[in-house]
Amino acid sequence: MTSDNMTSAGDGPQSRRYEIWVRGHLGETMRSAFPGLRAQRRGADTVLTGALPDQAALHGVLAEIEALGLELLEVRRLAPY
Amino acid sequence: MTTASEPAVQTRDLVAVHAMFRRGAPAAVVSRPWLWERLTGAAQVTVVSAPPGSGKTVLLRSWIGEAGLARRAAWVPVGRDERDPQRFWLAVLEALRETSAGSALVRELTAAPDLDGWAMVERLLKDLAPLQERLWLVIDDAHELGSAEARRQLELLLMRAPQELRLVLATRHDVRLGLHRLRLEGELTEIRADDLRFTVAEAQALFQAAGVELAGSALTLLVDRTEGWAAGLRLAALSLAGHPDPRRFAAEFSGSERTVAEYLLAEVLDRQSEQVRRLLLRTSVLERVNGELADLMTGGSGGERMLQDLEEANAFVVSVDGARSWFRYHHLFAGLLRLELRRTEPGEAAGLHELAATWFAGHGFPVEAIRHAQAARDWGLAARLLADHWPGLYLSGKSAAVHALLAGFPAEARAADAELAAVAAADELAQGSLAAAERYLGLAEDGSASVSAGRSGPVRVLLGVVRLQLARQHGNLPAAAEEAQRLRALAEAPEATQPMKGATEGGMGRAAGGGAELRTLALVSLGVTEFWAARLEEAQRHLEQGVALARRIGRPYLEFSGLAYQAVSEIPRSLVLAAERSSQAIELAERHGWTDEPAAGYAYALRAGVLAWQGRPEEAEPWAQRAERALKPEAEPAVALLIHHSRGQLELARGRYADALSAFLAAQRLGGRLAAPHLLVPSARALVVYSLVRLGETERAEQALAGLGDRDREDGEVRIATAALRLAQDDPHAATGALGPVIDGSASQIRRTWLIQAFALEAIARDALGDPAAAGRALERALDLAEPDGALLPFLLHPAPGLLERHARQRTAHAALLAAILDLLAGRRPAPSSAGPRPPLEPLSKSEIRVLRYLPTHLPAPEIASELSVSTSTVKTHLRNLYAKLGAHSRAEAVASARALGLLAPSATQR
Repeated sequence: MTSDNMTSAGDGPQSRRYEIWVRGHLGETMRSAFPGLRAQRRGADTVLTGALPDQAALHGVLAEIEALGLELLEVRRLAPY
Repeated sequence: MTTASEPAVQTRDLVAVHAMFRRGAPAAVVSRPWLWERLTGAAQVTVVSAPPGSGKTVLLRSWIGEAGLARRAAWVPVGRDERDPQRFWLAVLEALRETSAGSALVRELTAAPDLDGWAMVERLLKDLAPLQERLWLVIDDAHELGSAEARRQLELLLMRAPQELRLVLATRHDVRLGLHRLRLEGELTEIRADDLRFTVAEAQALFQAAGVELAGSALTLLVDRTEGWAAGLRLAALSLAGHPDPRRFAAEFSGSERTVAEYLLAEVLDRQSEQVRRLLLRTSVLERVNGELADLMTGGSGGERMLQDLEEANAFVVSVDGARSWFRYHHLFAGLLRLELRRTEPGEAAGLHELAATWFAGHGFPVEAIRHAQAARDWGLAARLLADHWPGLYLSGKSAAVHALLAGFPAEARAADAELAAVAAADELAQGSLAAAERYLGLAEDGSASVSAGRSGPVRVLLGVVRLQLARQHGNLPAAAEEAQRLRALAEAPEATQPMKGATEGGMGRAAGGGAELRTLALVSLGVTEFWAARLEEAQRHLEQGVALARRIGRPYLEFSGLAYQAVSEIPRSLVLAAERSSQAIELAERHGWTDEPAAGYAYALRAGVLAWQGRPEEAEPWAQRAERALKPEAEPAVALLIHHSRGQLELARGRYADALSAFLAAQRLGGRLAAPHLLVPSARALVVYSLVRLGETERAEQALAGLGDRDREDGEVRIATAALRLAQDDPHAATGALGPVIDGSASQIRRTWLIQAFALEAIARDALGDPAAAGRALERALDLAEPDGALLPFLLHPAPGLLERHARQRTAHAALLAAILDLLAGRRPAPSSAGPRPPLEPLSKSEIRVLRYLPTHLPAPEIASELSVSTSTVKTHLRNLYAKLGAHSRAEAVASARALGLLAPSATQR
């Protein structure tokens, strides 16, 4: 009913940083679906970056990407700083 | 019942889909003959797997319409995150019944608490076995099927479905359904995202249908930019309708790097009037919307017209009923619109959810009302709604929905709100987690002081029902009786279950209905407990009230289960009346498809018992078998006891005394595990002694008697069995001694059927003691008691043809009955040893039945194990037990035997 199933940036002990590539540029509306992640343009694509508390949160983001009809290009876990 | 409105809505939706097919979809259809042909010529299973907006649903609907399959295709939309196998299968049955073949084959099934999805699939396979014509089952949004169990059940249906059943699954992503096997067998047709992309020609047709003439490079640009994505093309068509310069639009769109959906959505919204834009944004928080609700959300008017216009323009919404009054958004657009609402009107969403919650509550849609209240974070409103509607939801088989709703509250709300804790306790009980139920019960009791005076009555009744059920599940009858005592005062006072006015704003009608439901539930639970505790008069009274109330408020499930118990509790009064009640219960079970429910099992067992007492064992046999099938041995020990007891009576009636003995011994053993006196325990003990006497084992009979406690030996039933033993030992004097307190009425209250035996034995004993006058009086008394019920069995169990013949020549009021008895005694032969299939030696366990269902599929044991998520060796153990119980030596034999017994659907024309 709501799309509030997003988890904002977690910084618990299990949290990991991810980089998620989707095709096309995201406007303000689309970006608001990922409040915990930073959206940056890279060429014709957009990369969403941020920390997610666990795998469930990652799957939540992926489900949101699917639900909005976005094309998922790549998911990467970033090395800890 | 208005509270049961959800299934009605679902049914309406399905009917609507058919209505739509007949009428033709409101928006023009793009002809896609190549895809339609693939669907028509498809293998057993077709999967249409593609991201949202790819045009899956539109394709399937247009194919059904164009191919003229409206009466041959069952359409099942899976609800959002469907976790309830029962609701899913009910929707499948309902949709199949809307088809021409299905309406003749698929039996009706009414929702009830605890219907088992596996049994529903087995029932469906049974119904569909004779299917001769092609029937399509379309499952839309299959990815929403969140219940792993429902997915495995669907997989089982795929594996065992008749040849002519074709299944089509539309899904956003591939679902785990063991489809690899089908792919290997060439029985899988796949239509994927690439197949669904619109070609340039198809896109042109789509634009034309929307009144947009587009050709050449502009058309190609749009198809390239959207990559033939259906949703993108539809949005483009909306933006282009009436656009002054389509070529410029195409060029600009093509030059933008924004995502297709977002770019086009903005374009489309820009072109809408302020009113329409407001409606789209503000109603996007709803799962479904109608005109009235839309006006409420916008504060405007004309919502219904706007929604219909939007549907005609093929924009965002689609109607879900034939009258085109309810609409739902395409998932993709709903998501985008909600984001847009949050961006442009931040903070509005909560208020909109609150409005929606009130509206749905006031219109009899409790589940949606509660979801919206939760989305508005109004936990108090959500909790009150849930507490008020729990009885109705529970009774219409929505335990899974209740469970999901409870999970939608923060944990601290569940613990702190006494009403919510009470519902959580009931929910845990329904889920079988007794410890968790007790924990919530404690929380609810601690907090119940804080519940407002007007609402405390229903909470106390609900808690009473939960405590009662808990005690019964623990097999603790004294505790249950104590709870029953407390519940009695509450349940007998109608006002106790009524929430006060204004409990839930606008929802008074529902809430009052919920009160009557709760009271009915309490009365029936009370009666059942009293019945098991052998307090028959109270049981009678409460069951009668419960059944009458259930009938009045239109709750057939409660009426049915109340009647089944009422039937059993009538036995002491009248077998004929008992049989009548059980017929009423069975009739309800058949009408609603509850023939495999435990309560139906009681009704069958009872009918078998009555027929056995009437000396008609062969007619009783099929009912006994049905009882054994419906009543699972894992059930409460009291239930299993009843099965063995009625089986024993039947074997006794047909003279198979060894079989009768083993059944009564099993019943007696179970009786020992019960914490309190049970109605049938003295009877089982007496019948053990009795069977031994009939087998000529007087020594063992003597030992069995000696093994009983002093008080147990004083039970009327045991005294009667003792008399039978003494007569067999040629000691009529001792026999009359044992019978004395029964005959003069000073022994414990006993059932009429036993009293007949007492007088029959008394007659035989008096005759042997040389007092023919006393013998005649006793026999006449026995016949007086037997006449109303036609209970012949006692005279067959104690055959005294000489005495009976003499009596027939004297003055008797029961000449016809006597003649019937003498005929049976004269013509009596040992029952044929193998008339039809013998029932399994022992009832199959739930896990064994689960394995049994996979036997007709040719899956090897390790694969059955992985289907059921157990180890291979567990499956092998079950297989061994199954073969033994079914007397089979191979898988094929086991399947044949299970089919003959009705445990498995008959063979469909297998591929």
